[in-house]
Amino acid sequence: MRSRAMPKPSWNLDYMMWVFTRLSGLSLILLIVIGISAGLLMGARSQMDLGTLMRWTFFPNSNHVLDSEIPDLYLWANGFWQIMQILVVFFAATHGFNGLRVVIEDYSLSGFWQIFLRFLILLLWIFSIMVGIYVILGS
Amino acid sequence: MQVTLKIFRYNPEDNRKKHFDTFTVEAEPTDRILDLLERIKGTEDGTLGFRRACAHGVCGSDAIRINGVNRLACKVLVQDLKSRKVTIEPILGLPIEKDLIVDMEPFFDHYRSVMPYFVNDDPPPSKERLQSPEERERFDDTTKCILCAACSTSCPSFWVNDKYVGPAAIVNAHRFIFDSRDQAAAERLEILNEQFGVFRCHTIFNCTDACPRDIQVTQAIGEVKKAIIDRNLE
Repeated sequence: MRSRAMPKPSWNLDYMMWVFTRLSGLSLILLIVIGISAGLLMGARSQMDLGTLMRWTFFPNSNHVLDSEIPDLYLWANGFWQIMQILVVFFAATHGFNGLRVVIEDYSLSGFWQIFLRFLILLLWIFSIMVGIYVILGS
Repeated sequence: MQVTLKIFRYNPEDNRKKHFDTFTVEAEPTDRILDLLERIKGTEDGTLGFRRACAHGVCGSDAIRINGVNRLACKVLVQDLKSRKVTIEPILGLPIEKDLIVDMEPFFDHYRSVMPYFVNDDPPPSKERLQSPEERERFDDTTKCILCAACSTSCPSFWVNDKYVGPAAIVNAHRFIFDSRDQAAAERLEILNEQFGVFRCHTIFNCTDACPRDIQVTQAIGEVKKAIIDRNLE
């Protein structure tokens, strides 16, 4: 693939979010694998039921294992798992709200409504991430 | 055997709304849908409007919706259909001019926007611009496009957004982007990297199913996406 006067590559929103969607999907799978593997290593196999383990796997918050037979929450409630939760919230919320943006832009006319809906989604995205982080740090 | 065709009708010059007319015709299992349309036009209703030219799957004039899927009328046989009741409609996403005839101009506007022609500013060699069989193979699949619009008009993103270039335009860009003799790949990739370019494709695969030439349309679109990413990472 040769080229004559080479235009500079452009980094527009649709391109970046398309790449982000792939990376965030893979990242969420990786976070889930880490959550379930670490949970099993920390004693989930004998100290909690499957439903509790699944809640932990998809969102590794220590409140999810309070009702189990885990004797000590030391391993389950620390800064590492808070970072993991924040990453889950960030990737899931951004992935999801970007999906909503794509659907809206596919189906809404250009002009005012597209700008308005984009702005609304931006606000909802920021709000949901802030609420998520507030809950994670406060729990 | 008898086949019943329910055909979409619209004539901008009369006052009737868009509707369906039903015709029952005698048919052989090896008759094509195009044969039945011509039989109706010749013997039952001469006002029926549809496009056809070569009638052998090469010109791409007679793309229509047959029982809800895009096909060439000249390539579908009666025996290929599960039912003896057939619904015939114009392809979606383009303005209807009359009955099964749509305005193809928006489709060709998108096609023209991706520079679907060979670009090489070097002086022509004395004989020819050489290319290895492997280099030719790289874009072989997308050379088969006949611009029937079956792919673009099967794409939900194309139906709802008339700015989206559509699968056919991307396929025809692919044909030149991956041609080792061409020099305008970067320009085409930039065109397709815009808001209504290649990233409007949501990998639904309708286009691949609809293509009468069996072009792997979704794969070609994926290769163009990858080429844009590779170029941005260089």
